[in-house]
Amino acid sequence: MSDFTWGLLAGLAAVLVVAGIVKWRRRDMPMTVSEKAEYLSRRRARMLPALAVIFLSQQASFFSQMSEGGHVSAEKAKISAWLVLSALLLLGLATKGFWFEKKEVRDLIDDENTRANRNEAMRWGFLFAMGTAIAVYILTMFDTVTGREAVHMVMSFGIAAAILRWGFLERRAHKDA
Amino acid sequence: MPERLANKLKERRTELGLTQAELAERVGVTRKTVNTVENGVFTPSATLAIKLAGALDLSVEQLFWIER
Repeated sequence: MSDFTWGLLAGLAAVLVVAGIVKWRRRDMPMTVSEKAEYLSRRRARMLPALAVIFLSQQASFFSQMSEGGHVSAEKAKISAWLVLSALLLLGLATKGFWFEKKEVRDLIDDENTRANRNEAMRWGFLFAMGTAIAVYILTMFDTVTGREAVHMVMSFGIAAAILRWGFLERRAHKDA
Repeated sequence: MPERLANKLKERRTELGLTQAELAERVGVTRKTVNTVENGVFTPSATLAIKLAGALDLSVEQLFWIER
């Protein structure tokens, strides 16, 4: 099995472990649909900035390898794990999220304000991705940038900006007057 | 001078003895959405404005108005 496949599997395993822990922690918490939606929505507001930090910290190892040229096996695995996290964050941004919850809970979490915040976050993500693409384009005039590195940078800054913005908006929305 | 959608959501809700969570449940949104509308952070859609007005026994015009 290739290093990239190992990385993909490790990323997926980490996601399943986290999902399992979250489910297990909530096993004795009987809640109504609204209470559950409120609880999950608050938790998401707390989690988003943390996720953005984890996501950005993953970039450090990638960009440190860039200057050395080429990627060793462990780095290839990390890149695959990054790809899994990127795809998950994008899915979270593009869909209602909380895929293992009941439909009514998911519908309630994704109410009008959440959708507006999500759209605003997507707008930020798009603008940051385009800004990064311009920066990479200029960079290629002075230095060699591989296709993979360019895609990595555009995706990373776009997703991180969107997640951070969404986290900020969600936290502000939960703050009482 | 920018226009702002003002409301008396909090005043009316308190008058009726409702919490944000209870009002949210009545109109089918989360407490967060009611909170942001009350604070003027979020401008609700016409659908939500009508639902909120209905839940608080007011007309939309009584509940929301434009402040200049």
